[in-house]
Amino acid sequence: MPYNETVEGLGLDEYKYHFVTKDKPVFKSRKGLSEEVVRQISAHKEEPEWMLDFRLRALEIFESKPMPTWGGDLSTMNLDEIYFYIRPQDRMQRSWDEVPEEIKDTFERLGIPEAERSVLAGVGAQYESEMVYHSLREEWENQGVIFESIEDGLKMYPDLFREHFATVIPPADNKFAALNSAVWSGGSFVYIPKGAKIDIPLQAYFRVNAERMGQFERTIIIVDEGSEAHYIEGCTAPQYSTESFHSGVIEIIVKKDARFRYTTIQNWSNNMYNLVTQRAMVHEHATMEWLDGNLGSKLTMKYPSCYLMGEGAHGEVLSIAYATDGQHQDTGGKVVHVAPHTTSRITSKSISKGTGRSSYRGLCKVYEGAVGSRSNVECDALLLDETSRTDTYPYIEIDENQATIGHEATVSKVGEEQLFYLMSRGLAEEEAMAMVVRGFIEPIARKLPLEFAIELNRLIELEMEGSVG
Amino acid sequence: MADGVTTARVAGDTEAGAAGSRLADFLETLDEPATLLERRRRAWERYAELPMPTRKSEEWRYTDLSGLDPESYEPFAPESGEEESRDAGDLPEQAARLLEGMEARGAVAVRVDGRTLHRRLDPALAERGVLFAPIRRVARERPELLAERLYTSDVAPMEEKLWSLHVAMLTGGDVLYVPDGVRVPEPVHVLRWAGEGDRLLSTHTLVVTGREAEVTWVEEYLSPDLERPLLSLSGLEVFAGDGATVRYLALQRYGRGVKHFSVQHLLAGRDTRLSGLNVNLGGDLARDDVTSHLEGPGSESEMLALWFGDGEQHFDHHTLQHHAAPHASSDLLYKGALTDSARSIFRGLIRVDRGAQLTDAYQTNRNLLLSEHCHATTLPNLEIEADDVRCSHGATVGQVDEGMLFYLMSRGLTRRTAERLLVFGFFDEVLERVPVEGIRERLRDAIGSKIGI
Repeated sequence: MPYNETVEGLGLDEYKYHFVTKDKPVFKSRKGLSEEVVRQISAHKEEPEWMLDFRLRALEIFESKPMPTWGGDLSTMNLDEIYFYIRPQDRMQRSWDEVPEEIKDTFERLGIPEAERSVLAGVGAQYESEMVYHSLREEWENQGVIFESIEDGLKMYPDLFREHFATVIPPADNKFAALNSAVWSGGSFVYIPKGAKIDIPLQAYFRVNAERMGQFERTIIIVDEGSEAHYIEGCTAPQYSTESFHSGVIEIIVKKDARFRYTTIQNWSNNMYNLVTQRAMVHEHATMEWLDGNLGSKLTMKYPSCYLMGEGAHGEVLSIAYATDGQHQDTGGKVVHVAPHTTSRITSKSISKGTGRSSYRGLCKVYEGAVGSRSNVECDALLLDETSRTDTYPYIEIDENQATIGHEATVSKVGEEQLFYLMSRGLAEEEAMAMVVRGFIEPIARKLPLEFAIELNRLIELEMEGSVG
Repeated sequence: MADGVTTARVAGDTEAGAAGSRLADFLETLDEPATLLERRRRAWERYAELPMPTRKSEEWRYTDLSGLDPESYEPFAPESGEEESRDAGDLPEQAARLLEGMEARGAVAVRVDGRTLHRRLDPALAERGVLFAPIRRVARERPELLAERLYTSDVAPMEEKLWSLHVAMLTGGDVLYVPDGVRVPEPVHVLRWAGEGDRLLSTHTLVVTGREAEVTWVEEYLSPDLERPLLSLSGLEVFAGDGATVRYLALQRYGRGVKHFSVQHLLAGRDTRLSGLNVNLGGDLARDDVTSHLEGPGSESEMLALWFGDGEQHFDHHTLQHHAAPHASSDLLYKGALTDSARSIFRGLIRVDRGAQLTDAYQTNRNLLLSEHCHATTLPNLEIEADDVRCSHGATVGQVDEGMLFYLMSRGLTRRTAERLLVFGFFDEVLERVPVEGIRERLRDAIGSKIGI
């Protein structure tokens, strides 16, 4: 057991993805947002008329909605300085060999091709505004699984696309969903056919390379009756002195008896505003699980949601946040019980270090008629320094009396007794601290598919295992 | 404060005093100490400047004020501060009946429509320097007690509109002062009866205690069911000295037709012990905004509440446990039961300032839903900026236990009676924390008659 590790040694603070790739984008929009930029994006994608209309309507909605005054501080965010669309290459590739050298190099350094060869069912890679690479193992393709870039999804499956697009998260849902609806680019279109069980994950990887970049991926995932799948997304960006902006919209439909898990390991550099809307409609006896890890970014505002629409549906949100100097993780989860006998659980663990601030924000809503619903929310926060801050803001709205709802939260510092005990066994204070922190997040960390996503492991689990395990 | 004894009129040319405004007209009729008038005038200006909060603000998200037009209420005439105290025997029947069983009190006041009809203070307490008098009289005779205290609460921005209205339209209020080291063994109890609709009643209480003093303040709000609506605004400010113990109980059992807004700010010094209980049973709409500021190390605050809502009743509770000093502890327990189409909201915040190390802060809200159409919303919030703390909160929404119901029904009780008994048991966890036997029984009776057992 090596004893040379500290909390820093957990690798949570260290940022390994600062490198910048020199590339030559084929198109870069003007800075700032305008109708012209929206039209350009739509034209580049050779979209049908209805999509352009949709985008323009969304732009109006975005402009009419006020900036949220709750959550994190958005006052310093300047959208006029952001590039809303950067097209890195002319067309998407299905073979690594054809991906331009500079971009390929980036993903090589992130370990993506290696992971794909060994442990992933399919991989999508987004660089700036476009998916540069998308591939799916043949065995799944043969079963009718669709795993395409969102743009190809629109072109190849127009009816299936239009049937589901913006049905889970309409543009008017919130200001940033409206923004995404106006300028979306990249993301995945996934369909898992009835009864298909994909036992290894699909992965999407998001990389922002350019300075002052805005990335707006849009993902639709339809999990048909009785099927099972797991989707992982990872995100990184280099550190610039200017701020970048990421605002995705993820729409998921989990049909009857299906099971789906969506894992995010967000490790944006800490100049990134990360404002994401993620929501799943969960039908009869289906299960949806969000596993949401937020380690990077300057400010993240993200609350993955489960709308439990069918009887017996189950929703789960596992959220882990780590905020260090200058970071604010405003994260949590929402569960909305619409149908009878639905169940849900939100488990949140956050760690605040230095001047970091972690806020849990969540909603548990039970509509009248959702009889026999049960929900349990648990939030634990760990504070490592005097200057750290933690907040808990749960909203619990219950309109049904035949429901059982519980919420609990605790805030603590690492216990003196715990440290004393470990130190009396020969550990230095920092090592003891690291062990306690690891124990704190372990219930969630162990759910990470560590054998699948190598770059994720580097980030959290492997280094922690090595540190004091 | 020599000018405290002069009188002045509120200037008729304030911009706030729009022509035809009955509230502005009210301000012009007043004849009271200049310091009080000045406060009213400033509050009225503030009131006029501020928009009525809407449901777009977080604080009023669940309580809709759009139907509230303060101009439609006629303020009750303010007390002069010199009302003659009648003997208990000379009181109107209703008020006299309320005084039954209130013999064991350190002091008693009965206010009807804001005016004091009866006031009694144990002479032994008066001798030891305890003061229990209308604000207006205290402004004339002991202005130093009000300076830097009266209306100084740092009400939240979204509460300021109604708070300003409360200050500007004050009907009457009491000051309770307990000097250093004086222990008031029996509670001080104020009954506030309102008998008329279409009226605005604004009452205020200032409790000031010296070091190591001890007192229990009880206030009761009552009215018949009113056909025309009554707007009731109430404020409580407690300044508890180092080492003092201040207990506070509010029993709101208005009849239907009343909208009641209450702002309560309690300030604890070093090693101070505060305890507050709000019981909401009556009115159409009741909103309590309760803040404990723990400004001195070693202070403790207990915050309790009970409510039972039926019909269309709407109860909204806001709380703040503000830890500004280290080594302080606070414990909040809010329990409510709802039936019919009643609705309740609990929005509580524990705020621990940087440097408030070794804080212990707890917050629990439990809700029982007894019918299909009632709604409970609970928002227990934490904002923690110190690292060496123990904070937790919990919230639950559920039903009475089916097993217990079955047991009671198998003993011959109807479902309704069994259910109500279980609600009573649910409340008992809070009631048993009330230290004064006579008060505890009075609360039990009030709750029992409300829930119908």
